[in-house]
Amino acid sequence: MGVPFDYAPERPEHIDAILNGLNRYNPETTNIFQEYVTAQCDERTYDCYANLALLKLYQFNPHLTKDETITNILVKSLTVFPSPDFSLALHLLPPHILTPASASSALPAAGDAPLSEAVQKLNVLNNLLAQASYAAFWSTLDSDDLYADLIADVAGFEELIRIRIALTISQSVREIERSVLESWLGMQGEAFNKFVNGVCGWGIEGTVVKVPMNKENEAKGTIVRENVKMEQFSRVIRRAYEQPA
Amino acid sequence: MSNLNGGAPPRAVDDDSDIEEEALAADYREQVQYEGMDDMEGGSSMSMEGGSSMSMAQQTDDIQSRLLGAAQPLDFSAPLETKFASYDNYCSLFHFILNSDGPVDLEPPSYFWAWDVIDEFIYQFNSFCSYRNRVARQGNNEEEITILREAPNTWGCYSVLNVLYSLIQRSQINEQLAAMKRNEEPMAVAGDYGSKPLYRMLGYFSIIGLLRVHCLLGDFSLALKTLDDIELNKKAMFARVLAAHFATYYYVGFSYMMMRRYADAIRMFSHILIYVSRTKNSQKNAQYDSITKKNDQMYALIAICVAFHPTRLDDVIHTALREKYGDQLLKLQRGGPESLPIFEELFRSACPKFISPTPPDFDNPELNVDPLEHHLAIFMDEVKTNMWSPTVKSYLRLYTTMDLKKLAGFLEVEPEKLRGWLLVNKQRSRQIRWSDNGLLDGEIVGSGDLDYAMQGDLIHISEAKVGRKLVDWYLRNLARTY
Repeated sequence: MGVPFDYAPERPEHIDAILNGLNRYNPETTNIFQEYVTAQCDERTYDCYANLALLKLYQFNPHLTKDETITNILVKSLTVFPSPDFSLALHLLPPHILTPASASSALPAAGDAPLSEAVQKLNVLNNLLAQASYAAFWSTLDSDDLYADLIADVAGFEELIRIRIALTISQSVREIERSVLESWLGMQGEAFNKFVNGVCGWGIEGTVVKVPMNKENEAKGTIVRENVKMEQFSRVIRRAYEQPA
Repeated sequence: MSNLNGGAPPRAVDDDSDIEEEALAADYREQVQYEGMDDMEGGSSMSMEGGSSMSMAQQTDDIQSRLLGAAQPLDFSAPLETKFASYDNYCSLFHFILNSDGPVDLEPPSYFWAWDVIDEFIYQFNSFCSYRNRVARQGNNEEEITILREAPNTWGCYSVLNVLYSLIQRSQINEQLAAMKRNEEPMAVAGDYGSKPLYRMLGYFSIIGLLRVHCLLGDFSLALKTLDDIELNKKAMFARVLAAHFATYYYVGFSYMMMRRYADAIRMFSHILIYVSRTKNSQKNAQYDSITKKNDQMYALIAICVAFHPTRLDDVIHTALREKYGDQLLKLQRGGPESLPIFEELFRSACPKFISPTPPDFDNPELNVDPLEHHLAIFMDEVKTNMWSPTVKSYLRLYTTMDLKKLAGFLEVEPEKLRGWLLVNKQRSRQIRWSDNGLLDGEIVGSGDLDYAMQGDLIHISEAKVGRKLVDWYLRNLARTY
């Protein structure tokens, strides 16, 4: 069930070849990676390892940087929260990107002020998702037109996020008030019913939504026993042979 | 076997022909006073003046002294000229090793030599980048700014990576390691270069070097990926050079921590710290003095990881941790806003000296933020996300069922907020943990000793009980008395 971090099921062969060779540093591959990001946005696939390789190319060759691709990568990585992907992408961006806008807007020459503003806005979203403040996430998303622009390229962004939220809920919840779930999923009425019944497969009973039992939300007590391996005693046994007393 | 720039010859040396480069280096050597590097200077200048007319014996002496010189630490406060000259020296040495007609016939001066060279090479790259960034940030040393501005490619990240990757490729070290993993004879795939100790060792330690460089640049997943062919165990080649052994685990552990794989990070740090504590008495030497600082740093990192992922530590580690960071650990484990400054303090003192790979923006000093601040800010967001988990857990432990609104009352927070904390804690108690294959591989494991689920406003809580652990105690006492 474990999937290595650098594995992506839908990754095309030519991308795989670049990632495994030194061409991942070749500035000429930037276009190929950029097209791949666009494809991920359109086709709802996701490949963090390849996207980080592109950000690394930007890190080494700042003049090649395309702001739109950076924000698309960040928006895509929001859709897999609570994984660390968003943070890993941030680590590869220029160090001044998170400095508050007041400091950088004072500089007329700061050409990428819009990028740092966008990245900081997305970082706000990321933190809200990470802190499970889902209601605040939806209201923040609606609060600024810039967000609409940022997520426009990522097909099905809202649905992908809703699915992730539903997944985290299913880990800790057996029953939840309908009104709470509505605010967490950012949807009401018929659309809400359809999503909860159809996509999640949960039951709605009056004002309560029931999440079927799964391994995570049963919260069963266990007793952890010590696992003793023969090797742990190898030294003792060896000594017994070495020093026959 | 393509090069970094799509088939172009190594970038470190392709800008200038050899002659120009040598002349440049000679020029520096005339201007700069060397301290404690007399050997290297003497040797190198000979090669320049004598050229091809030198006898073979002379050439061998000369190159031997250059090999030794490359492993010598550069004084921290060395002037900029010396740093430039040192870069040129490395370029010409690596050029000689990599691009001569076939493999050069040299024995490494000592077993530690290959590690020392790679270590010093990266250390100088690291300190040069930090220095350049600082000069740009402070923006008051016009003279140095001019020099640095005019030499954007000196100690460039492409050159450094090129050297490391070229050494790895020339020596076929990854192929050799893969063969060893399959229990095959590595020499069969080593080729002309890789069968020579000089190349094999340089190649091997270049892999460790890459791990470090990627980590310094903030690319933690690629750092771990780099070690795909190296098996982390005591039989590994790096384990024979203590400093290399130590550095490997530090950077692997740190990368795991930044990928939020705290259990794996703790495993790495513990492994090496236990190793050191067991061996340091038997072989007290200078090697150990040099790692004392890193030793303390790793304890600080363990403290951070344990706060994120409470777990039982090895007794040796636990005792040392309480001695060194007892107060801090308590505050970290208590969580809440009071823990934030401690997380920050420990992170600052224990993280690698991050660098930014490209030349800074000399025209906008304010834009040259110290990369440490950048990585710290991202890390602190994760700390803030988690900071209520200890509080929540400490209360939940007291009950088997609990009303959410009542608990929110105890904690003096909105019920909605508490629901969020509960979700966060549950998410964060599930982590990817390594079990087999590459370092990036792993399985999701629920690590919590505490589990719970919400049924409306009712929280059902269950605690995993840990049976008594006796084996450790038993073994230790056996070792003592028997």
